Amino acid sequence: MLTVKHLAKSYDGEKKSLTDVSFSVRPGEVTVIIGPSGAGKTTILRSINQLIRDDDGEILFDSTDMRQLNRSQLRRARTRIGMIFQNYNLIEPLTAIENVLHGCLGTKSNLAGMFSIYSADEKQEALKLLEKVGLRDFAYQQCRNLSGGQEQRVGIARALMQHPKIILCDEPIASLDPKSTITVMDILRNLATAEGISVLINLHQVDIARHYADHVIGINNGQVVFDDATSALTDVAVTNIYRKDANQEGSLMYEL
Amino acid sequence: MNSDIQQVTTFFNKKRFRLTVLILILGMAYVGASFGLGFQTQSLLGVQDGMIWLLKNFVPNATSNGYWSEILQQLYRTFLVAVTSTTCAAVVSLFLAILGAKTLTVSKALSWLIRGFSSLMRNIPIVAWAMILLFSFKQNDLTGFLALFFMTLGFLTRAFMETIEDFGTEKIQALQATGATYLQVIFQGLLPEVAVALLTWVLYMIENNVRDATLVGLLTGTGIGFIFNLYFKSLRYGAAGLVVLSVIILVVTVELISNLVGRLLA
Ligand SMILES: Nc1ncnc2c1ncn2[C@@H]1O[C@H](COP(=O)(O)OP(=O)(O)O)[C@@H](O)[C@H]1O
Ligand SMILES: [Mg+2]
Repeated sequence: MLTVKHLAKSYDGEKKSLTDVSFSVRPGEVTVIIGPSGAGKTTILRSINQLIRDDDGEILFDSTDMRQLNRSQLRRARTRIGMIFQNYNLIEPLTAIENVLHGCLGTKSNLAGMFSIYSADEKQEALKLLEKVGLRDFAYQQCRNLSGGQEQRVGIARALMQHPKIILCDEPIASLDPKSTITVMDILRNLATAEGISVLINLHQVDIARHYADHVIGINNGQVVFDDATSALTDVAVTNIYRKDANQEGSLMYEL
Repeated sequence: MNSDIQQVTTFFNKKRFRLTVLILILGMAYVGASFGLGFQTQSLLGVQDGMIWLLKNFVPNATSNGYWSEILQQLYRTFLVAVTSTTCAAVVSLFLAILGAKTLTVSKALSWLIRGFSSLMRNIPIVAWAMILLFSFKQNDLTGFLALFFMTLGFLTRAFMETIEDFGTEKIQALQATGATYLQVIFQGLLPEVAVALLTWVLYMIENNVRDATLVGLLTGTGIGFIFNLYFKSLRYGAAGLVVLSVIILVVTVELISNLVGRLLA
């Protein structure tokens, strides 16, 4: 479904943020990427939908290489890849339903998208998705008035509006309280199990990874150091993923 | 422990020293400038007499009340010039600011070009604008309109650009990730987020331009500035005082309205 091969990226041409990263994500599975801060988790995730232009490798999504697409092809490919963020990245003055409807911008004509001309079906679906994440009553609330957990659920609904095959989640629970964390993780888990959507999550809480993941990828210093089923994620493996290499900067932060 | 306290003390001493030097430099700059201009500090003492003369002559009296209708008419024209020039400039500025903002620009060169242009427009003083435009457009409202338009264009482009850059790349990327186009990102993401901030700038500029329009009118021989000049030169000080009063009332009213609108928007 998604296969990443030999991915490499350097932001400044000198220091390598990713060196030769390869892994794959299977349909209907929750795959969690763990690793210390600065290991390259965000860089991997953003390379997949090419928000970041990487330097080398292959990113096969449904057997087309995301890296070879032109502008309009990339736009079309992106419509099937949902994304949620630590800071939600909703448009705060707009209402929940407007933000959810943003999920179908990619399939609309330029003008219709610019001026919020949505079909009855699209509106219906947006409401249904809000219902699904438990926010039907908040459809007409400005997102700036929602709590963090609610905002993240709007973010998920926006991603679902894309009819995604995969959802990329960059530290989706890092700003949430324990209760919202569970709500959000349960929703993501259920999307994989019940709807066969692949879910790829950057996390730094190992216990959450153990509880929710089918498969875990450990990243350290821009390299894959663990790639196995969750049951194989022993304490020794975790220590290895979070180890501090001699050649790494001393300022590396541990987020365990 | 002791050395820590020592360190904090040294820190504050250094800071105090820097402040003293700064004040000394400013003092020297004042002395130097007064010397260069032949400006006598004692002459500030004469200000008081000048004020008294001003108060005696410029306080509107019964006869000056006859000028109200003419003043109001010109005030209205000046106000219109200020509002139309600001709103026209705002529309063009928004366009330039989006293309100039580092986060949304289509090319770096274009961004620098727009920055340079806005800096040039904004740094030509309004008086110079009025004088230059007088040559081509003569004495009419259009000259004043254009002078305010160009200056506002420079200012708002810069202000809008900074507001737009604050919007941040993350939210732009979040929309791009859905497959949204450039224009969709601008209309669905950027504009809703920055609308209030941009409007606040426009209101501020209207306030500012009502004041400046008076000055420009004085130079271009139109509006409220023109009749002030007229009354003043024909020694009708009371009427001229009334003009000043009316401008103050207008500016304060605009400010109050703009504060009110600002609060309603927030
Ligand atoms: N925009 C950027 N410019 C320069 N360096 C960056 C940028 N983003 C990330 N990096 C660097 O790339 C490395 C990986 O960062 P990131 O992918 O954000 O790690 P993680 O998400 O695992 O914390 C870090 O060393 C970071 O300093
Ligand atoms: Mg990160």
